[in-house]
Order: sequence, then C-alpha cells, then structure tokens
Amino acid sequence: MRANIPADLARRSYVGGHPPLKTDVQKWQGILHKQGWGAPHWPVEYGGMGWDPIRLHIYMEELYNADGLDYGWQGLNMVAPVIIAFGSAAQKQRFLPRMLSGDDFWCQGFSEPNAGSDLANLRTRAELDGDEWVINGQKIWTSDARESNWGFFLVRTDPNVKPQKGISFLLAPMDTPGITIRPIESIEGGMGLNEVFLENVRVPRDNLVGEAGMGWTYAKYLLEKERTASAFLYFNKRELAKAKEIASRETIDGISLLEAPEFARKVARVEADLNALEWSVLRILYGERTVQNNDAVVSALKIGGSEMQQRVTALQLDALGARALREYHGTGPEVMAGNANWPAHIPGVAARYLFSRASTIYGGTREVQKNIIAKLAFGL
Amino acid sequence: MDFNLSEEQQMLRDGAARFVRENYGFEARRALAKSALGFSRQHWQTYAELGWLALGLPEDAGGLGCPFSDSTVLLEELGRGLALEPFVSTAVLCARILDRCDNVEARSRLLSEVAAGGTILALAHDEPGQRFKIDRAHVSARPVADGFWLDGDKVLAIDGQAADRFIVSATVVGERLPSLFVISREAAGLALEAYRLIDGSGAVDLRLHDVAAVRLTESGNTVTILEEAFDAETVARIAEAIGAMEAVMAMTAEYIKTRVQFGQPIGKFQALQHRMSEMFVEVEKSRSSLFRALAYLDAEPANRKAAVSSAKLAVADATKFVGAQGIQLHGGIGMTEEYSIGHYFKKLIAFEKIHGDSDWHLTRLVTP
Repeated sequence: MRANIPADLARRSYVGGHPPLKTDVQKWQGILHKQGWGAPHWPVEYGGMGWDPIRLHIYMEELYNADGLDYGWQGLNMVAPVIIAFGSAAQKQRFLPRMLSGDDFWCQGFSEPNAGSDLANLRTRAELDGDEWVINGQKIWTSDARESNWGFFLVRTDPNVKPQKGISFLLAPMDTPGITIRPIESIEGGMGLNEVFLENVRVPRDNLVGEAGMGWTYAKYLLEKERTASAFLYFNKRELAKAKEIASRETIDGISLLEAPEFARKVARVEADLNALEWSVLRILYGERTVQNNDAVVSALKIGGSEMQQRVTALQLDALGARALREYHGTGPEVMAGNANWPAHIPGVAARYLFSRASTIYGGTREVQKNIIAKLAFGL
Repeated sequence: MDFNLSEEQQMLRDGAARFVRENYGFEARRALAKSALGFSRQHWQTYAELGWLALGLPEDAGGLGCPFSDSTVLLEELGRGLALEPFVSTAVLCARILDRCDNVEARSRLLSEVAAGGTILALAHDEPGQRFKIDRAHVSARPVADGFWLDGDKVLAIDGQAADRFIVSATVVGERLPSLFVISREAAGLALEAYRLIDGSGAVDLRLHDVAAVRLTESGNTVTILEEAFDAETVARIAEAIGAMEAVMAMTAEYIKTRVQFGQPIGKFQALQHRMSEMFVEVEKSRSSLFRALAYLDAEPANRKAAVSSAKLAVADATKFVGAQGIQLHGGIGMTEEYSIGHYFKKLIAFEKIHGDSDWHLTRLVTP
C-alpha cells in the first residue's frame, strides 16, 4: 500500500474532505485492481480475493495506515454483495467487472425526507409500465450522487401490503432523464451529500434486483454483510495514531504534549476503549458464538464505533487548542503542505471533528441502536 | 445579591432581542458570514448609536460606566442570534486592556473612539507553535526615538480582519516579561494574512518588520492586565454561549415536536425528552456559573481567576453537550450548512477553545 500510493493522493485522501476527487478515486481503484485488490472481499469467481475475515481485517488496517481511499463503499461493499447473492447472471456480468475496474461508481438511495430513522416509511414509488419501471419520489443524504453513474434505490412497488413487504430494490443510471441531484453542503464544508429527485424516471424492467417486494430483506442482508463495519475500527485506529502524532508535534512549556501527564491520560482513556472496540470486532470476525443476540451486539458495536469517531477526532482538536479553529477549504497548497505558522498537521482536523457528528446519525442513529438493544437483548 | 434584571437591563435585553430578530435571520447571518468583512459595519454603527459599545467603558473616557452584568445581558442576546460583530474583541477584551493601561493619552483617545464606534480593535497575542500562554511574547520591541519598533510573528488575532488597530504583546529588548503596544493596521512593515474560523468569525496572522508602535503598558503590570482582560472576555463569551445554548434548546424542542417518525412526533419518545432535560440541566448550571463568575470579576485576582476558570470549565462541558445534542436530535438535517443548528454547534465548540481551553483553565485552577 505504502509503496504504491502517490503521496499527493494520500494527502488529499486524508485532508481533502467529502467527496474526494473522482480522478483520485479512479486512480486508486486502478492501482488496487492491478494488484488484484479491487474488491478483496468478493468471491474469487467475481474477481475478488476470497480472503477470510482476518486477512481482510489486516488489509483494511493497512489501507487506512497508508491513507488509502476507502471509497466505492456503496458499490463494492453494499450493492455488490446484493447483486452477487440475489442478482441475475446478466446483472452480475454487467455490473461487477465495471465496479471492480473503477469504471462505475454507485450511490445509495435509501433515506427520504420523511423516512430516516423510520426507513420502512419510504414513499418513493415505482410502477410497472410495460417493460419499464417508472420511479417518482425523493431521496436524501445520498453520498456521492454527483460522482456516481449508477444508483441503487429502495422504492415502494406495492402500497397495499405491510410497509416492509412492498419495497423493491431497483438500479438506475444516474443520468436517466428525470433524475435531478442537488448537493447539500455539510457543516464542515463538504459537498458529499445530496438530495436526489426522481420524476418519471424510466428504467428497464430488468433493473429490478431479485424479486419485487423483497427490497427490505435485501437491504437487511446488505447491512448484515458488513456487521463489523459499523465499528469504523480502521478509521478510529488511524485517527488515534494521528492524534498522538499531532500531540507529539505540539508542546506545552517546552514538553511534548504527548508526554504531558494530563494529555497523556486523556489519550490513554480513549485508547482503552478503542482497544476494547478492536477486540469486539475480532470476536465477530473469528465467529464467536455469543450468548447475546447477534443484532444487539452489532448495535452495540455501532454505538461504540460512532462515539469513538467523535472521541478520537476531539482528541485531535484538543491537541491543537485554539489553532484547530481555522477553517480550511479545498486542496490548495496551505491544505496540502501547510506553512510555517500553520504546519501540515493542522488542516483537516476541524473538518474531521465536525463531520464526525454525523457518525451517530447515519446508518441508524444512536437512539435507534439503543432501541434495538433494549428490544433484542432484554425484550423491552 | 439580586439575580433579577433591573428595569434598564430588561430594556437592554428587549432592545438587543429586537435587533437580533430584525437583523440576524438565518439567511442574513449567512450572507454576512460569507462577506469579505465577515460582519456589518452598519450594525456596528447601530451598536454605537444604541450605546452598546459604551456600555462597559469608563465614564471618564466616553463610556457609560455600567456594571459588567449589563454587558453580559446584551451578549446573551447577541449570542442567541450568533451576531458576528467584533464586540467582545473590541469592547471587552481590548477595551479592558486600554482602561487599565499606563498610557493615559492612548487610553482616553482610543476608548472614546471605541465608544463612538470609530475604531475596531483586535488583540494580537498568540504566536506560532505556541499554545495559549499569557506571560510570554517572542515578538520583540526595540526602543527608537519616538516609540518602539516591533518585530516577529503573531497568529490568530481574532476579528483582526476588520481591525483598525492591533494591541500587540511584545518583549522589550533586555526585559523578561512582555509589554503591550498599539499599532495601526496601515503601519509600514505590517503584513496581514486573513482567514476564517469555524464559528464564522475572522482572524489574521501578523508579520511585523520594524513596525512603529506606541507603548501601552510596562512589563511589570502587563501580565496582570492581560489576565484580567482575558477573564472578562471569558465571562463575556460565557454569556454569549448561554444565549446560543438557549437558542439550540428552543429550536431543538420545536423540531422534535414537529418531526414525525414511526407515526408520532419524535418528541414523544422519552429518550429524547430526557435528552432535552439534560440540556436544560446543563444550561441551568451554566447560568449559575455566569452569575458566580460575575460576582468574582472584580474580586482580588486569585479569587477572580479561580471563579472564572471554574465557570469556564462548567460551561465548556455544557456547550459541548448542548451543541452536539442539538445536532443529534435534528438528525441528518442538523449536519447541513443550510440549517442553523450546525452554526450554533460550531460557535459553541469555538467557545471552549478561545483564549484558554478547558485544559488550560483546569491547570490554572489546580496550580494557582
């Protein structure tokens, strides 16, 4: 990883914010693909490495350590497993190779303005008209919609059954007439989030994955495939290391902040919980047969991992003190290299901290996770 | 002690609330924050006309000589609207320094200008690579025939993008402790680099090369003067933060009453009700901290410092919690630049860091 990632790409990957430059994403995916690592978690027959969970764990840790882009999430990690498990032979043939090579990027259309925590309440509809689905509705918080050429959408195809039963999983090219994308600026200045409006969007009947009405089940499958992802372990470990690096560059009364007892204790407190988080992930990866409810365990992991993102980035903020408050945009020279007054370890810290507030919201809020635990672990 | 607002204070609060209502709607603020100046000179004139800039200034220099608790009444309302004018920098931090400085001529001239809205001031104290530290300045001051020449670098002079003058800490050649000087923005040899902070305010770095300066304080009393001024600033920012936190609570309560998920307003969920209650507890704690800090602001230095640090610690915990929960209870919409709650969060996070973060105050509290 370290030998093959271009330095400028690594730096942009680390400080460049959301979304990353598409040229960087494609270049990096190309580098990985050439090595055979375009999608190491996929089965070998589809171009993956077929690695076991521990090998993948080591791979991901090294990818983050090298500041490699962990991009293409929605495609390689979310829609691909669904296509592999439930898609037609034609869909597999059409979509998987182009995902692997970085020719196609995918975005996810699940959330809607009135279907966030209550996702089953989604109202975007798709109706069959001859050989085409006609989609009408609106999606929101669609990461990287503008950079993607394909989207996968949860849509309501049957309004007359129980909410979860009437949902289907549809694929649509993002340049289909009737799709309008509006970027949403997030509080750290990123432009990765979007609203996606769908107005009489027509896609071929074949763009349905699996069976109509099974979308909810597929979405759950997709989330279960990535049970340990919600710990954000690799991000958290890297960011703790970066927090230490920042602290080692800052001094207080001539002593490195990292060696100042008060700060060292703060770091140690966070690290203690992060160590536990890592072993929570390992327990799952090694297939522990826990007596606890599995979904409750995953929710606990999500809570721990999302709060950890906020804590490690807060450590970085605290290590910088007031100098963390400077606002940076883009990937100009002052962001890429820093300067004498504002060295390179400063840009990006505030943005990562601010964006980490979203971690306890996306992918099921902390409050929803707590409801799941209360219900599944205790029958409350 | 009377914790209730006097009639004058109520009028002041109502006037400030009206100003915020009329001038600091979300879109209006957003436009100002994105403008080159970062605030409104017209608003600054309004501040002057309404007597706000003169409020806490001494009567012998064009001020109204009102107690500091009047300023904090005003600041709560300005904080509620996230007002962007450099009130704290100019009329609290720099004005306190000027009021106590040794240069009688500069004191009365500059304070009169502040009261009339004729000058904007910023303090340039922080230096590259250094954490907040009051009794140190590496910028050097060399005596010359008609004053001093300053040389060196300053960073993070808050509100400096608009300052007409800077108060600069520098160490006179041969002395150990810093002194304070005033320089003009137009001074030869001064280079400024401006940038924005996450809370919407601006700041500058100063590069000083033989910049002509007028001395304000002697090195013997500078640290005392700076400590007092920073403490007053901290109390001022606490008041702003309380206004901001109350705004966060109000808009979050309103949001969860109207946001429907799972067939009911999410405010019906007890988990969220309790979160609101926890925010309330934090803000109550903060208000008590403000009162206590105000009570000690004119006490002898050791007691004042302890009270201000104690208040900052308590309120900094509150701002982090209330700001973060404001976003959390809003969900995704809370993460967007197009919605106001995130701007409050950034203001509340910046509060904790400016001129002495929690770690700094904790250290001061336990090692007086």
